[in-house]
Amino acid sequence: MNEKDRELLLDLLTRQATEGISSAESRQLAALEGSDDDSFDLAAAAVLLSEFEATDELPTHLRAKIVADATEIVGANVVKPEPDTPTAAERRTPIFAWLGWAVAAGAVLALGINLSMTRFGVTEVAQNPPPTATPTPMTPAEAHDKMMTEPGMTVAKWAPTAKTGDMANVSGDVVWSDKQQKGYVMLRGLPKNEPQASTYQLWIFEENQGDKTPIDGGTFNISSDGTVVIPIDAKLAAKNPSMFAVTVEKPGGVVISKREKVAALAKVETSRPPEA
Amino acid sequence: MPESILKRIATGDRNAVEDCLNSYGGLVYSIARKLLANEADAEDAVQEAFIDVWKNAGRFDPTVASEATFIAMITRRRVIDRIRHSGRRISTDPIEDMVQEPGDRGHKAIEVNVEANEAAEAMRALRPEQQQVLRLSIVDGMSHQEIADLTGIPLGTVKTHARRGLLRVREALGLGSMLEFGGQKEAAI
Repeated sequence: MNEKDRELLLDLLTRQATEGISSAESRQLAALEGSDDDSFDLAAAAVLLSEFEATDELPTHLRAKIVADATEIVGANVVKPEPDTPTAAERRTPIFAWLGWAVAAGAVLALGINLSMTRFGVTEVAQNPPPTATPTPMTPAEAHDKMMTEPGMTVAKWAPTAKTGDMANVSGDVVWSDKQQKGYVMLRGLPKNEPQASTYQLWIFEENQGDKTPIDGGTFNISSDGTVVIPIDAKLAAKNPSMFAVTVEKPGGVVISKREKVAALAKVETSRPPEA
Repeated sequence: MPESILKRIATGDRNAVEDCLNSYGGLVYSIARKLLANEADAEDAVQEAFIDVWKNAGRFDPTVASEATFIAMITRRRVIDRIRHSGRRISTDPIEDMVQEPGDRGHKAIEVNVEANEAAEAMRALRPEQQQVLRLSIVDGMSHQEIADLTGIPLGTVKTHARRGLLRVREALGLGSMLEFGGQKEAAI
């Protein structure tokens, strides 16, 4: 790293830890080597703890909200192993065509069509709701399944970006609601990652931001084989998504992806009836 | 040694959520309440901070920092984002308290964890003006410009104090070396 970049890095890391930095500065920082250095923020947090007395109790209603959030996130990517034989639910699952896969080289959109057919099993998702409703929050898999049945949802199917290798068998779907600003990703065949070394990050290509600066849809880790359902955590309002992408990034994710390793793409190709 | 709460969360143990809220809920809420202007903002920031905690639990490394420090770091980031976005910034402390002589507030520190004690010691070793700038920015949530306006210290000098002070605290906590940034120039000051 040259002297100029080192000075800039030091300035941005210090300001990030003491007074915060703007979105533009965050992007500037993300482009620098060493931008993932947490040591300045950790030092500032330790200073705060050294001079700070935590006297407040977490309010009960706020605690309930936090627990509800946790229900959707914690353990969301801990999944059951694949069964050896198809389940009844899998046998009922409709067959669909693989969509094209694409390799992002600079620009992302270069989709080719894979004509092979495959079966898509949803091992964690009940096909019908249970006859007796319970007050417990829905799991991500249940919420995904419910959204898939609702009109007006944006739906796309995942396709791998490579014909060979450990990411060649990625499949699944994504469902998104512009109105609700929420959605779920279901993925199968994505290899496990080591959270200390890397993370998966979702990107939403949509109208507001354009293709050059897709919206960060959140990071996630894969800890076991099988089907994983993940709530989308869009950092900005997404409108009329045209494509979703999953990239492999450094732990914690990035502000702007260099798109060096695109694990899967899901191109929206069908229009649905308007959302109710 | 019991497995850390954050490691349990990272592996999908939902029972660890309650343990985490019991241990750190008050801390996160107190930080947000201190630095944000109103209750609604503080509650939103707390909720966002815990979402980040759940998502980033796998990044926690007990050899680098304690859970309290890691969670406080995540909380500060969310609170600072909200301060920058809303433009609202307050401190519950009166101005005269904020600008009191450096070192006067050290005795109020509670022994949250080893790092906090080490940070307190590192702060006491800083030059008074460096201590003051770090306190006003980190503990009272003021921007560098606001510190300059409040204290009369030129903005460039405020930034220099923040940078060198934080580098020294970082080094004292074993999080990095002064020599990584500016070599002898920063280390000698």
